[in-house]
Amino acid sequence: MSGQQDNHQSESSNSSQEHTTHFGYQTVEKNDKESKVAGVFHSVAAQYDIMNDLMSFGIHRLWKRFTIDASGVRPGNKVLDLAGGTGDLTAKFSQLVGSEGKVILADINSSMLNVGRDKLRDKGLVQNIEYVQANAQYLPFEDNSFDIVTIAFGLRNVTDKDMALRSIFRVLKPGGRLLVLEFSQPEHELLNKAYDFYSFNILPKIGELVTKDSESYLYLAESIRMHPDQETLKTMLDNAGFEQTSYKNLTGGVVALHKGYKF
Amino acid sequence: MLNQLMGQQALCSVLEVVINQALALNMHGVESLNRLEQKTLTIKLTELGFPLSFSVNQQEILVTALTERSDCTLDTSIKTLAALKKEQQITELIKQGKLDLHGDIKLAQQFANIAESLEIDWQSQLAMHISDIATYKLTRMQQFVADKLRFASGQIQSDASEWLIYEKRLVATNSQVTNFNQQVEQVSHATDIISNRIDLLVAHQIDQ
Repeated sequence: MSGQQDNHQSESSNSSQEHTTHFGYQTVEKNDKESKVAGVFHSVAAQYDIMNDLMSFGIHRLWKRFTIDASGVRPGNKVLDLAGGTGDLTAKFSQLVGSEGKVILADINSSMLNVGRDKLRDKGLVQNIEYVQANAQYLPFEDNSFDIVTIAFGLRNVTDKDMALRSIFRVLKPGGRLLVLEFSQPEHELLNKAYDFYSFNILPKIGELVTKDSESYLYLAESIRMHPDQETLKTMLDNAGFEQTSYKNLTGGVVALHKGYKF
Repeated sequence: MLNQLMGQQALCSVLEVVINQALALNMHGVESLNRLEQKTLTIKLTELGFPLSFSVNQQEILVTALTERSDCTLDTSIKTLAALKKEQQITELIKQGKLDLHGDIKLAQQFANIAESLEIDWQSQLAMHISDIATYKLTRMQQFVADKLRFASGQIQSDASEWLIYEKRLVATNSQVTNFNQQVEQVSHATDIISNRIDLLVAHQIDQ
């Protein structure tokens, strides 16, 4: 009888875990995470680029350039820039795929998408870019549609990462590749401690100063800590069906670029 | 904080900004880039250890490390790169193993021609920021300093040549100096002997 009770409790606990996820350090209902993340990004969208430059001292531009180089993009390719936000990767891909190619900037957040669309149009980049508001877990594209899918600083905000990776795998063409650029685990302990101090003490203050919103940047720091480390994310890519998966640490592992192919 | 990969990206980024800025200021416009639209030149320099690809898109040049889309790839050194201007040298450089070439060399020469034809009206550009009068004065001062430097440089060169042609011949060599020193010592020794002898003779005279 007691064993049955234990089993029942365990099942109940497992069932509760299945319905919850992380929002920074908080445990929230899976259904709630999307709206909470949306709240964060609606709040920071207008100042997103400035904050990125301030937070990373401009190095995010180099991380993104490295992602472009690692993508092996060619003229005529079809690229999906998932969680593309304000369109930094889309802008470069648009120039590199040329008029024969196409880039789709997708983001779940309408505010981010609007900021991205306005920015790219101001740059005169219009001819080969489309904008789609989409959830990475349920991509509204046909199977085998894209040569390249990128998701830069977006995967950690996705509620069900495994589901999103399977969805990305589905829309990639055979021979296509996924590139995940995301904050990760610094390689050296000293760097890790300095990074922790910066993330939890300085970053929210910069957020408060620039966007009058320290909580969103505290979430950012917490969500980075809760995100899978390099090896775990590589295993997740493997489990989603990707082959020849690999990763490269950038800036001492503060950020990692994961790459996987669909064959 | 910047590791090697980031250094490479930083270089590409800086090059891209500088090149496009120079093209935007070019007095002859950027129409010459039109026939290179969506073409890519990749240069692998021995000194750098990573490729630099220059792709043309809508009158802008994108600098990346992408090698997949290259229409012409040059694998060479900075020194050899300068020699590539002369078309007739290309075969010789390949034979000497100083240049590895894949793709259309004419494309590389078209890129080189654009670089050579760049002409920027610096005075007009400067005047837009600091006014015409300040630009005029600054230009005059720069001209004055340049003239002085040119004169000084010419003078130094001329003095140096004169010294090498005439003065250097007159300068004593090490062996000549050693020989001279030895001779001085010998004379000094002989003088001492004579001096002693004179002293002896004087002493002898006094005794008598």
